[in-house]
Parts: sequence; C-alpha cells; structure tokens
Amino acid sequence: MNPFLLRVAHSIACPSVLITVLLTGCGPSVNRYALIEQNLLAGNPAQAAAVVEQAENEYGDKSRVLYGMDRGLTLQLAGDYRQSTAALEQAEDVVERLYTRTIRSETAAFLTNDNALPYEGDAYEHVMLNVVKALNYAVQGDVQEALVEARRIDHRLNLLSDRVKESGGYRNDGFARYLSGILYEAAGDLNNAFIAYRNAFEAYEAMRGWSRVSPPPSLRADVLCMAEALGLATELDDYRKKFPDVAWKPASSRRQLAQVVMISYNGRAPRKEDRFIDLPISLDALQLVLLNRGLAQSSRYRDRAMDSVLYGLSGRVVRVALPRLVSQKTQVPFETMTLTDAQGAPLAVQSEPVHNLTALAERSLDDRMPAITAKALARAASKFALAEGAAIGAQRAAGRDAGPWVGLLVGMLAKGLAVASEEADKRSWQTLPDEIHMARAWVPAGRYQLTIQPPGHRASMEGGEHMLDLASGQTAFILQRVMQ
Amino acid sequence: MSQIRRRSLSLLIACAALALAGCGQELKVTRVDAGVVTDLSGRWNDTDSRMVAEAMVKEALEYPWLGNFSQAKGRQPVVVVGTVVNSSHEHISVQTFITDLERELTNSQKVTFVAGKGERDEIRTERKEQAVYASEETQKAPGKETGADYMMKGTIATILDEADGTKAVFYQVDLQMIDLENNTKVWYGQKKIKKVVEKKRTVF
Repeated sequence: MNPFLLRVAHSIACPSVLITVLLTGCGPSVNRYALIEQNLLAGNPAQAAAVVEQAENEYGDKSRVLYGMDRGLTLQLAGDYRQSTAALEQAEDVVERLYTRTIRSETAAFLTNDNALPYEGDAYEHVMLNVVKALNYAVQGDVQEALVEARRIDHRLNLLSDRVKESGGYRNDGFARYLSGILYEAAGDLNNAFIAYRNAFEAYEAMRGWSRVSPPPSLRADVLCMAEALGLATELDDYRKKFPDVAWKPASSRRQLAQVVMISYNGRAPRKEDRFIDLPISLDALQLVLLNRGLAQSSRYRDRAMDSVLYGLSGRVVRVALPRLVSQKTQVPFETMTLTDAQGAPLAVQSEPVHNLTALAERSLDDRMPAITAKALARAASKFALAEGAAIGAQRAAGRDAGPWVGLLVGMLAKGLAVASEEADKRSWQTLPDEIHMARAWVPAGRYQLTIQPPGHRASMEGGEHMLDLASGQTAFILQRVMQ
Repeated sequence: MSQIRRRSLSLLIACAALALAGCGQELKVTRVDAGVVTDLSGRWNDTDSRMVAEAMVKEALEYPWLGNFSQAKGRQPVVVVGTVVNSSHEHISVQTFITDLERELTNSQKVTFVAGKGERDEIRTERKEQAVYASEETQKAPGKETGADYMMKGTIATILDEADGTKAVFYQVDLQMIDLENNTKVWYGQKKIKKVVEKKRTVF
C-alpha cells in the first residue's frame, strides 16, 4: 500500500479505536452504586456518603444534580442533616439553572448520546429534593424550616399541574402533600394542614391507577380530624360518607398528646439499563444482527466493543439505544413500630406504604419514551448519514487510485464509532428507596422505648434501642433505612 | 496532497479553537461596598434585610405611640424584639433581620432597647456564675433587669407566581409593636418588595 495511505489509515484508526474504547466506557459507574449499596446494607451510611464524595469527579459537571441528590440522601442516612441539606440545596439550584438549555450541549448530545446533556432529574425527583430536605429539618425538630420546604413543594406541584395537562399523569404527589399536612399540623396551622391532607387524598386518588399506592387509612382519619377541628360541617359530612369505616378521634384528643412519625425508606429505586435496537438495512446485515444476537453471551462492555467492530465492518447496521428500568423491589411489606412507656405498657402501630418511587420512575420513563425514541432514531440516522458522507469525502480526497480503500476504511471506522457512541442516558437518583412506609402514633408525654420490626438503620440510634423523651404537643420524626 | 494536509491542519485548528472556547471560565472576585445592591438570584438577600429593617424602624418611630409614652411616663419606652416568623418559600436568615432591627432601634436613640430571649439566657447564666466565682464588689445582683414596655414581632411571607421561566416573588414583611402590659397593638407596619426573575430557555 502507498505509504501516504498507510499514514492516513493509521492516523484515522488510532484515535478512532481510542474513542471507541472511551465511548463504550461512558455512563454511570456500576461499581459506585454497588459500593454505596454495600455500605448501606452493612449499616454504614457515613461510608456510603464518603464513596459518593470520592466519586465527585466521576459524576462530572454533567451530573452535578445527581451528585447532590446522592450525597444529600446518603448524608441524611448518616445523620449529617446540615450537610445533607446543603448538598440538596445545591442540587436544587442547579436544577433551576438548567431551565436554560445550551445549544452546545444539545448539539453534542445529538452527535453522541444523551449523556452529553446535563442531568436535570425527573419531576418526581425534584419533589423528592424538597421532601428529603423537609425531613432533615423535621428530624432535627425545626418544623418552621421544614415548612419552608412544604411551601416549596406546593409551589413546585402547582407549576407541575400547570405543565402536565393529562389528568392521570404525575402532576401531583400524594406523599409530599401528606408530609406537608403533618408538618402544618405539627406547627399548629390546622387550616393549611387540612388543605394539604385534602390535596394529598386527591393526589393519591388521581394516581392510584398506576402509582400502586392507595390513600393511606391514616390520611383519611386526618382529613376527618382536621375538618372537625376547623368546624367545616359540610366537608366533615361528605368525608364521613366517603370513609364510613375509618376510625378517627377529634383533634382535641390529639392536642395534649405527643406524636411519633416513623418514615422508613425500603428497598432500592430502580436502575436503568441500555436496550440496544440494531436496525439492519440489508439482508446481509439482518443475518449479521441475528447471528450476533444469538452468540451474545458475554459481558455488557465486551458486547458493545464487539458490536462496534462488527457493525462498523458491515456498514449496514444502525444502532439505537433506549433506556429501560430494572426494579429492585423491597421484600418488607410493612414495619411494626412499638412505643413502650416507663411502666412497660406497649403501643404497637403498623406502617402503611405511602410512596412508591419505582412506579413514579416507570411512569416518568413511559411519558418520556416517545420523545427519547424519536430523538434516538433521528440521531442514529444523522450519524449514519455523516459516516456515509465522511466515507465519500475521504474517497474523493484520496484520489482515483487510493480512493476506494480510503473510503472503505473511513466508512467502517465512522460507522463503528456511530455504533460505539450510541448509549442511553441511564442516570437516575438511584440512592432513593423503592417504597416509603410511614407509621404514626399519638401517646401521652413521657419517656418511651422505641422498637421497629423489622429494624433498619437509624442515624440517631446505636444498637437496637432508642429512647424518646416526648413533650405534650411535640411531633418527633424518626427515619430509618431498610435495604431489603 | 498538500491540499489534504492544509485541510487537516485547518480541521485541527478548528477543533483546538472549539476546545479552547470551552475554557473561558475563570474565577473573578470584586470587592464592593456593603451598601451596593447585589440581586443575583432574586432571593431574599442582605440588601432586602437591611433596607426593610431601616425603613420599618424609621416608620415605627415616627408614629405617635412613642411621643404618647414619653409624655405619660417621662422616659423613653423600653423595647424588646420578639419572634419574626418566616412564612416564606425561602430559608431566610431571620436572625440577620432581627439583628438589623435591633441595630436600627438602638441607634435611633429614641427608645431603650433590651436584650431578647436568647441573649437573656446567656446573660443570666453569666450572672449566676459571677455569684459563685466573681469577687463580691464586682458581682452583678439578680432581679435588676429592665423590663420591656413593648415587644416588636412579625412575619416575613412570600407569594410566588411562575410560568414559562418568569417568576414573580412578592415579599411582605409585617411588624407589630405590642404593649406588654395590655397586649394593645400600638403600631402595625408593612413593607412589600416585588421581584421579577426571568430565565432564558436557550443560550448558545
């Protein structure tokens, strides 16, 4: 071969192979989350938070929001509420800034994949930012600051309901509203508590077709209780007819008591995987795709590298990558919270599921899938056209003798790169739980021993026992993490 | 051949230019006067806190309750700042605002200003310790505190409206001066601030 051609081939091949290898290694690190989960499973959230912190560069500038989310949640579990709130606040600021899209990032994403875009997070994750912050303040007993987050939740959900027109879609959040109601009630603002409880009930009802959570019985009791406390006779009658079987006590009976609210994060939020769709544009390519699929038994990374080489050589396969969710369901259907007073008399309350984050993630991805698919198809077509153009351009530039070889080589490499660079955006707030459970109990003021079965990790607890000193009118929030 | 080399060189220069264009960020620190208005995010900031405190204390001291009290009692009224409740959508540092109010009240020289609840606890602890550890002639006896005649308290609330990247934030600060003897509200002040924050949907 002509020495010039060799140099051209070498100069194209070396960086291309390097880029192929680099591109196939893109995306969130599996090891990072495995390590975080391993530490959480071992009851060591401080180490999980340290893993997130050490991986800050790995998250990169495009995933600042995700870094803040993961850091905020792991720090909360570690009991460092102040730092947790600061990390979540930063994530929320970045979400605000990302309202403005940059043409540079959009173009880069169109030419490579959606991982080139800054991670904005889903709407339910934005609400969870405020929920986790509200819980940080609530656990520390700072109800007034927790209420700031409740107001932000209300504002965020109002904006969401303006934006999402579909009545059954994610345009409201039952748990976020329910938590807001509890916070308002804890602050003695019964009017806002009633509004929040009522909104929570309506949100649960509107989304029960897909959210896998029904309005919790305790919420129904709260609506009745607040309607009675505010003297809303018509509403009270309506809700009595609506919830004939719900046992509830008037608000006056709660006033002298202390309340314990146990929130349990159970299981793990779903993770995302690539789903590759290889579109052959000739019969030979179809055979190749079928053969490759049949033989594909090796690991994910090896598959992708091999596919890039094979499809690059074929030059007649277009690859589209779409994300799919893999659920990581909790094995714990409910918890039993027991408060034992100084005389040894126990009060046991069973928790209720109040939030299903897997259902929200699935719904969010389903809603976005048509747009993701259309974009992925358009990107794949553009990459194929660019590769074809590059091959023709190189063929012409190399002259009559060397043209066919150079064109073929450039075409193969460009198409191999197009396949290698195709990757779905698999980023999501993976440190969230699969489900959130809640148990509430009202007890006279005094000293209580708290036990939760099955036990999870609690930041404020070392060992199995947890003593609570409760004053009348106080609301104590207890957080725990159950990985199973 | 040389044409290809020239093209390759041009491509290389273009790539380098694009890469360098992304490296334009640098840290810049500018020292400004503390009185300069700096509206960066549209949130409640130091300027809002200072301006509202100045304006409201000035207004409070212009009302007749001050003259009426001085005439009746022959001395300046004693004022304490109570709770300012944050009912807004932001984690406002209420303590900074209270400090601004306290500074304005003290510097006005029209009222006698006494320490608030949090500070009193610390001072009382110090007095208790003096009773044990300080020499007799330098000890400060208990029961000689000046009781306040009035308490200033209030709320900071917000109303938000947002659509298509434009956000209107309406802050309302309400302060009241309450007579501690009979719970009468002798002054009620209100200050409003409205900010509009606009965000672009797309930039280069």
